[in-house]
Amino acid sequence: MSSYSLIIIGGGLSGLAAGIRFARFGENVLILEKHSRIGGLNSYYYRKGFLLETGLHAITNFAPPDVKSAPINRLFRQLKISRQQVGFHEQFSSRIYFQDRPTLHFSNDFNLLKDEISRHFPESIDRFISFVSEIDRINAFVPGPHVSARKKILAALNNKLLTDMLLCPLLFYGSSEENDMDFNQFIIMFRSIYQEGFFRPDGTMKDFLQLLKQKYINFGGKIRLKTGVNNIISSSENKSFIQGVRLHSGEEITADFVLTTIGYPETLKLLNNNTSFKKNKIDSLKGKLTFTESIHILPAETKNKITSDQTIIFYNISDHFRYEKPAEAVDINSGVICFPENFKDLPEKDIFQLRVTHQANYDIWKQASINRESDEYVNMKDSWNQKSVKTVSKIIGNYQENVVYEDSFTPVTIEKYTGRAQGAIYGSACKLKDGKIRNEYGAYENLYIAGTDQGYLGIIGSMLSGVSIVNQHILGKV
Amino acid sequence: MTLEEIKNVIIEIIQDIDEDADLSSLNPKEALRDQLDLDSMDFLDIVMELRKRYKIQIPEADYPELASLDSCVNYLGPRLQSS
Repeated sequence: MSSYSLIIIGGGLSGLAAGIRFARFGENVLILEKHSRIGGLNSYYYRKGFLLETGLHAITNFAPPDVKSAPINRLFRQLKISRQQVGFHEQFSSRIYFQDRPTLHFSNDFNLLKDEISRHFPESIDRFISFVSEIDRINAFVPGPHVSARKKILAALNNKLLTDMLLCPLLFYGSSEENDMDFNQFIIMFRSIYQEGFFRPDGTMKDFLQLLKQKYINFGGKIRLKTGVNNIISSSENKSFIQGVRLHSGEEITADFVLTTIGYPETLKLLNNNTSFKKNKIDSLKGKLTFTESIHILPAETKNKITSDQTIIFYNISDHFRYEKPAEAVDINSGVICFPENFKDLPEKDIFQLRVTHQANYDIWKQASINRESDEYVNMKDSWNQKSVKTVSKIIGNYQENVVYEDSFTPVTIEKYTGRAQGAIYGSACKLKDGKIRNEYGAYENLYIAGTDQGYLGIIGSMLSGVSIVNQHILGKV
Repeated sequence: MTLEEIKNVIIEIIQDIDEDADLSSLNPKEALRDQLDLDSMDFLDIVMELRKRYKIQIPEADYPELASLDSCVNYLGPRLQSS
C-alpha cells in the first residue's frame, strides 16, 4: 500500500497551488484528479480543432510588479512563479449596462469608475468615496459572522440602482448566495475587480495549467489523473482522524494529511462511510447558483460590425436585477458578455471569440438530460441559445450570421466534468473559512478544505486558498 | 557555521523569496519587516527554507526571534553551530 505525507483531492487551481506550496518545502505529496485533465472549473476542451476554455473570462487582481503586498504578487512569490513566465495583458475596459439606465464603465484605473459615478450619480459620489475609504481600512480576511453586503452598500450609498449595478459584476464573478454576498467577500472582490482589475496571461488556460503542473512536478509532486476517490477512511479508534483514501478502483492509499478541494457537500459524501452526515444535510449544502455558457467563434474581420471594443459587458435588461436561481431553464434578462481577445498587446488572430454566460436552473436541465433517447436536452440547448443570441444582439449588434462555430455548456455539463454538485461553480453558500471540516465529535485533525468552499473565489482566490490552508495547517507539521 | 555565514544564509534566503529586494542597505538591528516589503506569508518561507536546508525545527512561538537580521543570527547561532 502506498503512503504519502499529503494527499490532495482535486487537481483544480486550489489543489495545484496547494500542491506546489507543499512540494516546495515538503516531500511526498500526491494529487488525485478524477477527470482525465487537470484544471477543475478552469480548464479547456477541443471542438473542431478549436481550443475552448472553460471558467476563465479574465483573471482578476491585476497589479503592477512593485506592489509587493498585492494578492497576485504574494501568490506568485509563494509559488515561486515569476511574472515573466505568465505574461500580463490588461483589459481594455468593461461596462455595467442596465437597459434604459446610465452605463458605468470601469477599467484597471479605478478613477474611471469614480468619474462615471460622479457623472451619472452625482448625488452619490461623496458617499461612494467615503464608502471606499471605509472599506480600504477593513481587513476582509479576518473570519467573522456573515454580514449582508447589499444592506451595507445600500446604507452607505443610499441608492438602490447604484447598489445593484456595483453588485452585478461581483455577484456574477463569485457569489454562491442569491442576490447578495458576505460583506467581507464583497470587499475582497471589490478590490480584485474594481480597484485592481482584469488581465489575461500570454497563453491559454492550457498553458497556464501546464506551467503550474510543471512547477509542481519539478518540486517533486506526484499526480494521478482519472483517479476518483471512493471514500475518505477515518481511524476506527478516532473518528476525527483520517488514515487515507480508498479509490474507485478499490486501492487504498494512506496519508498523514488529506486536503480536499472538491467542495464541502462533495467531501461530506466521501466521509459518509465513517460518520453519519444526513443526506438532507448534504443536499442543503449544495450550491443553487449555476450557469449556462455559450462560446461563439467569428472571423476577425467581422469584429468591427458589432460593438466589440470592450473586454466584458455585464448586462441587465429587466426592471429589477436578479441574481438567483431562475424559474426558467435560463435567465436571459441578465448575463455576462466577454471578448477573451480584448486584452492589450495579445498577438493577432484570424478569429475572435464571444462568450456569453447566463444564470440557469439546474433542476430543469437535469430533468431534460435524464432521457438520453429523446432530443429534449439538445433542443433545449438550441432554443435557449437562440433566445440568448437575440438578446445579446440587441446590446452589441447582430453577430449570428457570421458565427463559424459555436458550442455551449449547461449546469449538467459542469457537474459532469467538474464534479461540483448541481453545477454550482461558486460552490456551497456555506463556507468553511478556517479550512476545518467538522463531524459530531469536532473538527477533523488532519483533514482540511481549500478552494471555493473554503471561501476564496476566482482563479487567484482559489489558488490563494490552497496556499494559505497549506501554510496554516499542514506545512511544518509533517 | 560562523555567525557571518548564518547572516549570509538568511540574506540568500530572502533574496530567493524576493528577487527584487534591495538587501545591500539592510540595517541588521532593525526589523526585517519594516525594511522589506514582505508579509507573514513570506516570513514563513524563511522558516521553511531553514528547515529544509538544515533540518532545524523553529516552533511558531519562536518566530519573533527572527525579526531582525541580528536576532536571526543570535537565535540560529547555537542551533546551527554543529552544521
